[in-house]
Amino acid sequence: MSWEQVMELIVSILTTQSGLPNLMFKQVIMIGVAFFFLYLAVAKRYEPLLLVPIGFGIFLVNFPLVPLMGFSEHGTPELIRVFYKYGVEWEVIPCVIFLGLGAMTDFGPLIANPKTLIIGAGAQLGVFITYIGVLFFGFTLKEAASVGIIGGADGPTTIYLTAKLAPHLLGANALAAYSYMAMVPLIQPPIMRLMTTPAQRRIRMRQLRVVSAREKILFPLVGSILIILMVPAVAPLMGMFMFGNFMRECGAVKRLSDTSQNALMNIVTIFLGLSVGATMAAEKFLTLKPLLIFSFGLLDFVVCTFGGILTVHIMNLFVKEKMNPLIGSAGVSAVPMSARVSHAEGLKADPDNWLIMHAMGPNLAGVIGSAAAAGMFIAMFQ
Amino acid sequence: MRTVRKKSKLRLSLVVVTMLLGWCVSSHATGLFSAGDVEKPNPEFTRSGNRIVAKFIPRAKSTSVTVEFQVTEGGTLAGVKGVDFATVDRPEVDIKNFKSAAFEIGIRDVIPGGTAMVAIRSDFFSLSTAFYVFNPKRTEPWIRDAQKENRVLEQRVRELVVQVRDGGDLDSDGAADGQIRLVGGPRDSFWGYALGTLFIRFFGIFFVLSLLMIGMLASGWIFTLLDRIRGGRVAAGVEKKAPAAAAPPVAPASAGGLGRPAAVPDTVVAAIGAALYLRDTASRMAPSPAPPDIGTAWTLQGRQRIMQDRLAVFCQGGRKKEK
Repeated sequence: MSWEQVMELIVSILTTQSGLPNLMFKQVIMIGVAFFFLYLAVAKRYEPLLLVPIGFGIFLVNFPLVPLMGFSEHGTPELIRVFYKYGVEWEVIPCVIFLGLGAMTDFGPLIANPKTLIIGAGAQLGVFITYIGVLFFGFTLKEAASVGIIGGADGPTTIYLTAKLAPHLLGANALAAYSYMAMVPLIQPPIMRLMTTPAQRRIRMRQLRVVSAREKILFPLVGSILIILMVPAVAPLMGMFMFGNFMRECGAVKRLSDTSQNALMNIVTIFLGLSVGATMAAEKFLTLKPLLIFSFGLLDFVVCTFGGILTVHIMNLFVKEKMNPLIGSAGVSAVPMSARVSHAEGLKADPDNWLIMHAMGPNLAGVIGSAAAAGMFIAMFQ
Repeated sequence: MRTVRKKSKLRLSLVVVTMLLGWCVSSHATGLFSAGDVEKPNPEFTRSGNRIVAKFIPRAKSTSVTVEFQVTEGGTLAGVKGVDFATVDRPEVDIKNFKSAAFEIGIRDVIPGGTAMVAIRSDFFSLSTAFYVFNPKRTEPWIRDAQKENRVLEQRVRELVVQVRDGGDLDSDGAADGQIRLVGGPRDSFWGYALGTLFIRFFGIFFVLSLLMIGMLASGWIFTLLDRIRGGRVAAGVEKKAPAAAAPPVAPASAGGLGRPAAVPDTVVAAIGAALYLRDTASRMAPSPAPPDIGTAWTLQGRQRIMQDRLAVFCQGGRKKEK
């Protein structure tokens, strides 16, 4: 073999089989974006369980000649494409996550004070305001609905709805939802203080009644009947959520409940995060729409918080026992972060005012409310 | 100093927000946010007799719909094909209003200069749907009042009827040659639908959750009642059993322990005494001199445990009666 042939072979290998000459500037930017989210997750502990796999998914998919989200010449899906296809595209993983969430959830505070369900509905205001807002910027109705649901502060619901209505926005929507959920302690307090007086923040609420085990067992059954009958489109999410909760409360299948809460939840979280992150390839993500999605996502969270607190103020005009308006902000879902924020703000106003259990009611109502909103949107396009 | 810094921060945020808004508006104006027609309908046509059915997924829908075309009078339906909306797009119309895009309907066997009636049927049409006709030979190509009728048939199917004259305004070929080329599409109000559905669905969530709330209030009331009845029964049972099981009165223990029953050993008495002492001193323990730091996980956990204990005490049965 002559020296020229060796050189030609080396050049051929370098240009066709090595990634370096094929690396584009856009991909470098996206790798930077991946580092940013990994930094937020690892150093700042912002939703690390989701942002680590999402960040790493972005990182992996933005190398040149890496076909992780593509198909082989024979049409066989590559590694992460398999996760995406069977997990997200087939709408399996968000529902399995809802199963785990149901198994983790204690509906006691909501059952003890069902009035807080209305707060969960009021806190969906931002979802609909954002839906209209993005339409002015040329988004289609389906895209607008998928962006609007970010304010529901419910990651799996956002992913489920976006995968169904606007899969091309999945990466941006999921990232916006999880980033802002992690930033709830930064976003909500100023709005809470703006919308309440010190006296209102000091309102003490009556201790919640004890909820019997039988009530807790019946809740997922009664809840499923009422919600699924009214909004059938929400059956996959709500059905799994209530199934997980029934396993938890019935006490007969502790092993299954434990698996749903821990092992299964952790497994699907890994696949979900990687798949969602991998949708953010440079050529798809580096457009102006994601920027707008992030802006409206923030507005969405703000209006949802506003809507929740406003609902409590309105309810206080009619109820005998006044509610502390700080619990209204917990209506945005983001369990249990936003309930903790309500509690912490309450403690600042009155160190002996324990709002955590009261805030858990609207918090859980927010989960049901955002799932109902997603169901409404799905039904709208059927 | 702090106020000045706050003010400058506020000003800076205002400037940034204004710039962002300006940028967004200008981007919108230049169409930077529109990433092509991602919802372009792609109709497939099938013919059955004198009818042609188009099946497609319209804009803002996830499921397919069918639109049926038929010439009911004055001619024969020659064919129907889809029209790329970009070719008929004009400033006076908005593509978003045309969920099904546009069609070209060919009619033959028309008496030259005569009229034909075209019926377009679908359960996708609503009361507000109107068939707009496009004729490029006119100075104002889009004709809004072309439709003669919008009537409801059985099974929620609506029929739009258009009367078209050979060589007339609606005929795109412009010639009275016994053939008609009708280009147009069913038009709905995008913003009317978007705002209407927004309002209905937002209050729909209130309705669904209110229904759930009523169900939960009712079940909560029933369970509380049942628990109260059961509690009452248990109390009655204890009262009935009490006289029979009552032990003979024990003489109170004196300070010297002379009246103490012999069955209780000294070690047990000492243990009870120690427990009572510990309980008493624990409840009167002096508070920590350090200022309460509510932010740490340790203090939060401790407070949560205290709270749970309180919950158990305050939520015992019959609490309502105390009120």
